[in-house]
This record gives sequence, structure tokens and C-alpha cells, in this order.
Amino acid sequence: MATAMAATAAERAVLEEEFRWLLHDEVHAVLRQLQDILKEASLRFTLPGSGTEGPAKQENYILGSCGTDQVKGVLTLQGDALSQADVNLKMPRNNQLLHFAFREDKQWKLQQIQDARNHVSQALYLLTNRDESYQFRTGAEVLKLMDAVMLQLTRARNRLTTPATLTLPEIAASGLTRMFAPALPSDLLVNVYINLNKLCLTVYQLHALQPNSTKNFRPTGGAVLHSPGAMFEWGAQRLEVSHVHKVECVIPWLNDALVFFTVSLQLCQQLKDKISVFSSYWSYRPF
Amino acid sequence: MRPSLQAVALWGKKAPPHSITAIMITDDQQTMVTGSQEGQLCLWTLSPELKISAKELLFGHSASVTCLARARDFSKQPYVVSAAENGEMCVWNVTNGQCVEKATLPYRHTAICYYHCSFRMTGEGWLLCCGEYQDVLIIDAKTLAIVHTFTSSQSPDWINCMCIVHSMRIQEDSLLVVSVTGELKVWDLSSSINSIQEKQDVYEKESKSLDSLNCRTIRFCTYTERLLLVVFSRCWKVYDYCDFSLLRTEASSSGQFFAGGEVLAAHRIIIWTEDGHSYIYQLLNSGLSKSIYPADGRVLKETIYPHLLCSTSVQENKSNPFVMGYMNERKEPFYKVLFSGEVSGRITLWHIPDVPVSKFDGSPREIPITTTWTLQDNFDKHHTMSQSIIDHFSGFKDETGTVVVTSSEYVPSLDKLICGCEDGTIFITQALNAAKAGLLEGGSLLKDSLPHKVLKGHHQSVTSLLYPHGLSSKLDQSWLVSGDRDSSVILWNIFTEEILHKFFLEAGPVTSLLMSPENFRLRSDQVICCVCSDHSVTVLHLEGKNCLLRARKHLFPVKMIKWHPVENFLIVGCADDSVYIWEIETGTLERHEMGERARIILNCCDDSQLLKPESVLPVASETHKHKSIEQKSSSSCQFGPIPCPGLHVESSCKLTLKRNKTASGPLPAEAQAKPVSESPAQGDNTIKFLEENDGIKRQKKTKCSKKMHPKPSRKVDANLIIDTAKLLLSCLLPWGVDKELDNLCIKHLNILKLQGPVSLGLASSEDHFSLMLPGWDLCNAEMKKDYSKVNLFSSKVLDLSNKYTSTLPNQARMPGGLENNCDSLQESNTIVYLLSRLFLVNKLVNMPLELTCGIDSSFKMESVHNKVKSSGNDILNISSFYGYLRNGKNESHTPEADVSLLKLISCWRDQSVQVTEAIQAVLLAEVQQHMKTLRKAPINSQPESVTENGNCEMMQILPKMEWAEELDLQCVTDILPLQTPVSLVKHDSNSNSANFQDTEDMPDRCVFEESESPGEPRHHSWIVKVCSCKLC
Repeated sequence: MATAMAATAAERAVLEEEFRWLLHDEVHAVLRQLQDILKEASLRFTLPGSGTEGPAKQENYILGSCGTDQVKGVLTLQGDALSQADVNLKMPRNNQLLHFAFREDKQWKLQQIQDARNHVSQALYLLTNRDESYQFRTGAEVLKLMDAVMLQLTRARNRLTTPATLTLPEIAASGLTRMFAPALPSDLLVNVYINLNKLCLTVYQLHALQPNSTKNFRPTGGAVLHSPGAMFEWGAQRLEVSHVHKVECVIPWLNDALVFFTVSLQLCQQLKDKISVFSSYWSYRPF
Repeated sequence: MRPSLQAVALWGKKAPPHSITAIMITDDQQTMVTGSQEGQLCLWTLSPELKISAKELLFGHSASVTCLARARDFSKQPYVVSAAENGEMCVWNVTNGQCVEKATLPYRHTAICYYHCSFRMTGEGWLLCCGEYQDVLIIDAKTLAIVHTFTSSQSPDWINCMCIVHSMRIQEDSLLVVSVTGELKVWDLSSSINSIQEKQDVYEKESKSLDSLNCRTIRFCTYTERLLLVVFSRCWKVYDYCDFSLLRTEASSSGQFFAGGEVLAAHRIIIWTEDGHSYIYQLLNSGLSKSIYPADGRVLKETIYPHLLCSTSVQENKSNPFVMGYMNERKEPFYKVLFSGEVSGRITLWHIPDVPVSKFDGSPREIPITTTWTLQDNFDKHHTMSQSIIDHFSGFKDETGTVVVTSSEYVPSLDKLICGCEDGTIFITQALNAAKAGLLEGGSLLKDSLPHKVLKGHHQSVTSLLYPHGLSSKLDQSWLVSGDRDSSVILWNIFTEEILHKFFLEAGPVTSLLMSPENFRLRSDQVICCVCSDHSVTVLHLEGKNCLLRARKHLFPVKMIKWHPVENFLIVGCADDSVYIWEIETGTLERHEMGERARIILNCCDDSQLLKPESVLPVASETHKHKSIEQKSSSSCQFGPIPCPGLHVESSCKLTLKRNKTASGPLPAEAQAKPVSESPAQGDNTIKFLEENDGIKRQKKTKCSKKMHPKPSRKVDANLIIDTAKLLLSCLLPWGVDKELDNLCIKHLNILKLQGPVSLGLASSEDHFSLMLPGWDLCNAEMKKDYSKVNLFSSKVLDLSNKYTSTLPNQARMPGGLENNCDSLQESNTIVYLLSRLFLVNKLVNMPLELTCGIDSSFKMESVHNKVKSSGNDILNISSFYGYLRNGKNESHTPEADVSLLKLISCWRDQSVQVTEAIQAVLLAEVQQHMKTLRKAPINSQPESVTENGNCEMMQILPKMEWAEELDLQCVTDILPLQTPVSLVKHDSNSNSANFQDTEDMPDRCVFEESESPGEPRHHSWIVKVCSCKLC
């Protein structure tokens, strides 16, 4: 039995010394690194209201797709909000050109960016309380901090990587459709979301299903991108998606942010793993 | 839903970890509620003298608790709502620990405010929630469904904190919130109730930037109705509520972060920091001269400056983050209490004087800590019950100290408890005996006689155990797989205690052992999957004794394992939401996906049904937590379900509920499933033994899995059931109320006295339950003095018991009349009778209120119709149960007594008597009644039973009663072998084992799980019959 725990006194002393170094020096070094990375990340999100910078600067993105040029969009991003949008749609049948834009007085919050930004600042806040002057006493304490930070970072990343899956009625009911002037024609639906580092705009063209249609009506569930043929009920009408146009554009700073998230998550996990190595020596006692 | 399951907990020496993340005091200032990172809630009693003691742990959340709030007008219903990181919300009744309502919404709340406006609102009011989403969510306090939202028109963002302002002056309730960007927003509450109910958008009335980030608290001064206190992490500010003009900003001193604050009185505030310090300030008017507002056209405002009056003392070496709160008591005894909870699980209270003053020289006075307490204190103070299962083996351990259990597994089919220890040994013992040894007085005598096996082969602590046969009956019953910290995995034969094979994984501690689902076969066998702490996954083939795959590329802890049976893929989900797909045969990494696609892969595995998801591995942190609980070896056993009414034939109580059960006759279709699933649980009467021991997470899982896979082909010793029944009675009896009675019980019922009060548990649903903590009994203030009464649930019990006795009919109604005929027979009969009583009480008390009105009428009906074919209706079940009881005798025989008893018990329920209290009261009364006859008995050399009419009658009742049931059974199943009362009597006179044998030989291959007492096995076999018919 005793052989199992056969660390001699000397070995034990070395281990404890190493662990102390880990807690007092290494952890803080990692935390500082982490903080630097996250500060960089949060700078990308240009926190509004933080005072000094004034209103967030506007960035214009031209959205297109490599295949066709039926839809073109110019979206203006101001921090976490879309302040302007110009969408040009070439109707496939008659090549008629449709143009619609945001109302001047309205902004559309991109919830995904806002959430990601808030998660990052929460993660940062967790770290600011733990600067060099703070002494960690146990490994468990570090693990708990890392868990909390990782939770926020994972959520921040997930907000960007997993756009909301919406049903077509949800898209139709969303405030985005009411943002345009002149108002969107009733046979068009628009959705804007972030997918990874890309700003995506989808335009759905609809046509009404005849009430006596022999087509089997089956409303489709939620999806990030609906495909042609998807059906739904809106008002008293049954509608079917006839065409789907998706255009997108890479937002460079979102790409940076995602890289920062991944790097900091790995840093956190590595620190956790280092602590855990000792946990096995201390064998489940609070270490 | 009403509770369906009572449990008994056997705690170890160490308290489970409880890192407090949320804390509150209920409005009556008698209970403190804390939420923990581990997901459990803890209820603490707060005595009038401000002494704290932990009472109860509430299990239900599977993630860290983020906030707590009251969920009703507390004087009417003592309900508290809790919200967790993963969006779970639960409403708890904090007086009995029951989960009243639960919901999981895709929102993470960080603060909840209860709002109710009695004259404009129907229903139970609203929970106003804010958190990691835009604006304020309105949730119905009763149903936990989303009612609507308060939306903001300007810069919508997450809300950090909020408060409700009831202003008498403007006769309007307002909601004040501060967003993460420091935006103050105000919504009208009372005047927008209608619009909310009609789902109209309600926008904020005002919005103003406060120019600070990380707001922690906003509070309105109800005394002046003028000041607004806003605490940010770096400063606190005072605003004028009338026009939101800034009156004062006070920055934090270096290194301190403010965490919250509260208004104590007019112009007096308390501010606390994250490291647990708090400061009381007097706000003084500074006059106009100090005005910081230049003449910009506005009226000059007076400003205020704070004067530090007091600070609270803090224990040294406290650097953990604190959560704090302040309670301004309205009722007697008028305490103003500041309270804090720490990550370490410590609660601290400060009694704030009504008029805090500084010292004479003007320097701040220090307020001392009034009380401080941890869970561990409870365990240290009340250690009578605190014995871990493994301690009983200490007899042959060296005296170096106690062995720490690091993993455990319960095998219901063998009633074996398997514990892996820190030193690498594995113990296998009988679960029931272990429980007895832990609970009962004289249990220590059992210690040495405990039959057990020791498996020696590991050199490091055993971190995980797996009993393959428990998951798939096709696998060898003798196999046990164990993994240790040294990364070796051993395949054992537990019967011969030999090592069949030893695998060396070289991948760090084995954190988890899993088995592939039944439909996944590799070379026609199921495979074992080992997750190690270096995030690798190893697939082992037990039959072939070889390693099939080592998957070592995962960067993050493994969270989920799924199997693709068609293509032989192993799908590994990691904590960073990436997915790795491994081909098992070739050992190659087929794909690695992240984000959306990874999610789709994992989801489609669920949809396609091709793959069956293996039980989800707990997240790394959870595994860790899990282990730490195991390490504490807080083990408990739960005693089978005590019935609950309704269609759930969970009413099947593990023991004598047969009668109720048979009486329930043909069940409606949906109920059919239940008995099927329930019967195994009934069978392995100690099924829940493992659960506590096994950590909370797995507990739920095992419970579920057991229900899913009934294993009817199991025979259990009848003695075991009687033993379990006795243990149950021991746990329920209020020992020490009457010394003589105690002795009689020990002598005649052959049951042992408890070592100390049992910690009961109560499951309010599949995965919500509460467990009493050691020392709960001292939480009741009135019982503090009386240490002689060991297990009295509450002082109410004696009172109730007397009432019950007075309604009992005079003649002896118990089969106890049979005394002296045959000791063991009489004993088991008595036990059976007592249990049946208890189950009836439990059923009655638990019955949903709306059904109660039906009882009386159905009873009248019952007396008219001699025999009613019972339907699935549970009122009828009960009444027909009574019907059977009485039908056994002649019709005229005292049905009123039963009705009056029933009425009495029903009326207890209306008086909100707890089930346990009612059960104990009835048990006490019945035992007293029973023992009365016994006390008389020795005087007459000739047993009264022969001569006394009533007793004689009783003798007939029993068989007849069963005969009646038998008949009913016949109609139900048709396949059952009919046993005549004659044969029954014969059985009774036989020994248990003979009886057992007999039934076992029944021709129709009716396998039954347990014979519960002589003379009753056939009911059981009926149950299993249903089971095997429906399922097999």
C-alpha cells in the first residue's frame, strides 16, 4: 500500500516547491498573457461607452457571392450595430432591379457581436481581480477561475460560430424586416447574421402556395439557412421559398477575435492541465 | 408534482463541497438559502439568536447556481427561485425542500426580482430577470413560462442589475436597471401590467448613461424616496432620483472592488467589497458651496459627502470572492443582518446595530462577526451518523488512518456495493449490511461480520469502476472493470477475486469508464471505452483482452462519447465544442470538426437513431467535483419509493405495497409503462444505496438507467427484504419517546435502535431531490434541549400520534393478535402490517388536493357496492384497498374507523403536515397500540388470540384479504397461478425459504424478484408478470 504513495520526503519537497512556483509565478505569468490577449480581443470589438474613443467608427462591407451577382449588399457596421444597409436585388425572372435601404433613423443591433463582446469583457473582469498582488492559495482556486474564464470565452466564441437557427415565421416577424425604407415587398425576407468571421446576408424570395395546391404542406423548422422549397405559414398565407440568395463578407477583426479566443482557451486549458498534474500527486486532497 | 420517493442518507465524515455563489435570507429570517458552484442549494436554519446550522441540501441543478430570489409572497408560500448557468430554473419550497416547479430556458439569469401587484395582477406574480441577454425578461412565477419582455428602444444591451422602486409619492412602481455599458433605464411597472399581459412592447421611460462600467447594485432609498445608490466595481455613486443628477462619486481605494451595497436608513448606507469588507457611511449634506455643477442653466444642487461610521471585522486570510447581502428585518426580533457566503462554503453573519455610530473620536467603529458556520461544522458537530461505509472495514486496515473511497459502483442484481479506495484496493460488500452497520445501534457489531471481498491489484487510487453486466445482461456477470490513477485498467472476476487482465494505458488517471450501447458491436462484442485525464480515449475489447484504439489528439477534456454502429465510428465531443470522429478498426482520425458543423454532427447522431448516445460523460469540472464527493465518501442509501398517488404506480413501494398495487387493478395504458419500469426498482430494494456514494451526477443516471432496463431475472433472498423492511422501520421510529416502547420494539419486532437521527431525503421528481444534513434535527428550536429523543422528526409528531391513537378503534386491529404462534411469522406479519399502514398514510398525504374531495364520496359508494372493480382511478384504488380490507371481514365491521382515520390523515395534509411527520406519527401510534397487546400478553399464559373474538377474526382477515386480491389479480392477468388461502396458510407456517422455493417453482416461468414476506410473493410475481409481458 505504502509503496503506492512512495514519494520520498525529498521527492515530496521538490514537488511542493514546484507547485508553489506554479501557483505564485507561473499562474500569474499565464494570467497576464491571457489578459493581454483578451484586451486585444476586446479592442477589436471597440467597446462603446468606454468614453475616450467617442462613437465607434463606421466600417463599410460589400457583400457578394462568388457565383452570381443577383444580390449585392453594402452594410455599414458601427460597433455591434448595423447603421446602414443597401441591398440590390436582381429579380431572376424579369431582371428587374430592386433596391432597398435602412431607414435613416434606425440601427440594427447584431446580437451575436454584442454578446461576444460582453462575454469577453466579463472574462476580462474576472481576470482583473487577480493581478500580481493576489496570491493563489490552492490549485482548486486557479481551476475555478480558469473554468469561469473558459466558460465566458467558449460562450463568446460560440456566439460567433453558431448563428441562431430561426424558423421562417421568426425571420418574418423579426424587427429587421421593418428596418427598411421603402418597406420590403411582402414576397421578400431578409436575415443578417454572423457566421464565424463572416457577415452574412440572406434574402429569401417567396411565393404563395395556392390553397388548393396539391403540394404537401409541411412547415420547416428552424435553420440558419433555409433552402428553396421550405414552407411556412405567415398570417393566413402559406408561403414557399422560391429562391435563396446568400452573400457574405469577411470581417477581418472578427477573424482576429476568433483567433484570440482559441489561443486564450488553449492557454487556460494548459494551465488547468498543469495544475491537474499536481492534483494526482496530492491525490484528491485539496491541493 | 407531489413527491414520490423518500430516501435515507448516510453521510460520511466530510461535507460535500459547497462553493457559495448566491446567498439570500428568506423574509421570515428563519432560513438562509445558498446556491453553489456545484449546483446544489443548501438551506440553513437561522435561529432567533442568530445561530446558523445547515439543514438540507437541495439537488436539482446540473450547473453552477447564478442567482436566488424569493418567488412568492413569502408569508403565503415559502418559495424561492434559483437559476443556474445552463438556463435551468427551479422553484423550491424551502420549508420541506421540495421542487415545486422547474424549467429550462435558453437564458442565463444573473439577477431575479419578484414582483407582484395584487390589485392589478392575477396569478402568482412575475419574476423579472436579467442576465446574459438583452433587456429584461418577465417570467411567470408559477409556471416559469416567459410572459414578455421589457424592451429598450435605445442601445439595448445586457442588464447587470436592477431594483424595483415602490414609490408612495408618485404611486407607481418602477423598474430601475443598469446595463453592462452603464446605461440607467427606467420602466414603469404597475401601469404597464396590462400592456405586458397583452404582449405589447413596453419601452423604457428614461435612459441615461452613468459613465461607469461594471455596475454591481442599484438601490433606491425608501426612507427619503429621493436618493439612488449605484455601486460599480470601482466606485459608488449617489444620484437624485427626481432628475438622476449625480450627487456624489466615491472611488474605491486601491485594489478594492465594490460588490454591492444597501440603504440602511435615511442618509445611511452600507457598501461591501468583493473581499468581504463592508463599510457603513452617513451621507451628509454639504451645502451649496461644494456644488460641483457649474452654472449651465440648471439650478444649483446640493451635494453630499459620506462619513465612515463603522466597518465590519473580517476573519484573516480571507481572499476568496464573497457574495453578500443585507437584510432589513421587518418582523420581530428586528435584526438588521449583513451576511456573506464564501467560495469555501463559509457563511458569516454580522448583526448591524440599529443606529451605527462611530467612536467618540470620530474614527470608525468595528462591528464584530456575530456568527460564522460551514457545512463541515455540521458534520463535525453531529458525527454520530457520520460514518462512511468503508470505515467498517477498518478492522483489518492498518492504523494509518481511514481509507478514502475514490470511486464506487452499486450492483443491484447482487445487492453489492463496490468501493474503490485511495490505496488501490477494491472492497465488495453487501449494500444492505453496510447500510445497517452505518445506521443502527449495535451496527458496530456487524462490522466484523460484514461479508466482504477485497480485490488487490491496483497500486494507485481507484478512480473509476464499471460493472458491465449492469449495462448489458449479455456480458459475464462476474466481470468488473476498474481504472486507477496510474492509468492501468483491470478486468476482474469478482466471484473468484482474480485478475483476468490488466491493461496499461499510459495516459494519466482514468477519469471514466464507459461501455458501448447494446446496438454497437465490434466483432460481435460490446467494447469498453476509457477516458483518461490527458484527454485521450482508449477503446478496449474485453473478450479479446486487447486494446482496439487509442485516440490521443484531443486538446480539450472529453465531454461526450457517441458511437456510430454502422460505420464503426467513435465520435468524441470535447469541451471546446469540437468533434473528433475516429474509425475504430483502423484507429485513424476520420474527421475533426468545430463549431456549427460539430454541433450538427452531434445532433444528428441523436436524430438518426442509428447511434445510441452513450451516457454523457460529465464535464471535466463535474468529474472533478464528482470525485471530490466520492472522496468524502458521503454515502447514503435510499429506501425504496414510498408511494405517491396518481397514475404513477411509483406508488409501488418497495415493500408491502402489493396490496395497494393489486388493488389498482387494470391500469390505464400510460400507467402500464410505469410498473414495468418501477418493478426493478422495487426489486432491487436497495437500488438507491449506491447513489449518494456514487456522486450526485451518476446518481441520476443510474436511477434512470435502472428504470430503462429492468432485469427481471433475479431472485432475492426473502430475508433480505424483511431486513430491509426492518431497517426502514428503524429509520422511521421515533426512538427515545418511550423507553419501554423502544425495548419492546427491539425485542418483539427484532429491530435495532438507531445510532442517531437519520437524514431523510425527498425526491420531488426524477432529478430533483433534497437530503437532510447531519444535525438537521437540531434545527428545530423547540427540540434543542431534548437529546433523549433520537429520531423525532418534529414536535408535531407526538401530537399527531395521539390524535391518531384516539381515532383508532378499540379492538386490536393488527395481525399482532397472532402473537406467540410463531415468532418469526408474527414478526414479519407485524412488519408487513405496519408498512402497509405507512404506505397508505404516505399515499393519502401525497394525494393531490383536487382528488381529495372525491374520497369521502367514494367511500360511501364503497360501502354500498361491496366490491368495486378498481379502475386506474387512484381514488378508487385507495377506496377499493379499503374495500378489500373490509371485504375480508364482514361488511358491518367497523368501516367507520377506517373512514375516520382516513379523514384524520387527509386533514393532516390540509394542515400541511409533512409526509414524514405523518408517517412517523402513525407508526408511533400503531406500534404503541401493538405493543399494548404485547404488554398484556405475558400475563395470559394462553394467547388471547385463540379466545378473543376480534383476534380470531383478524386471523381470517389476512388470508381472506389476499384471497380477494387474488381474485382481482385473476381478472387482470389470467396467467397467474391461483393460490388458495389454504395453501397460503400453509406457506405462512412454512419457513421463508420454503415459501420462496415454492413460488419459484411456479410453472409459468413467472420470474419474480423478491418475495417480500411469507404469504405475499404472488402479488409481486404479478407485477413482474406485467413487466415481462409488456417488455420481454
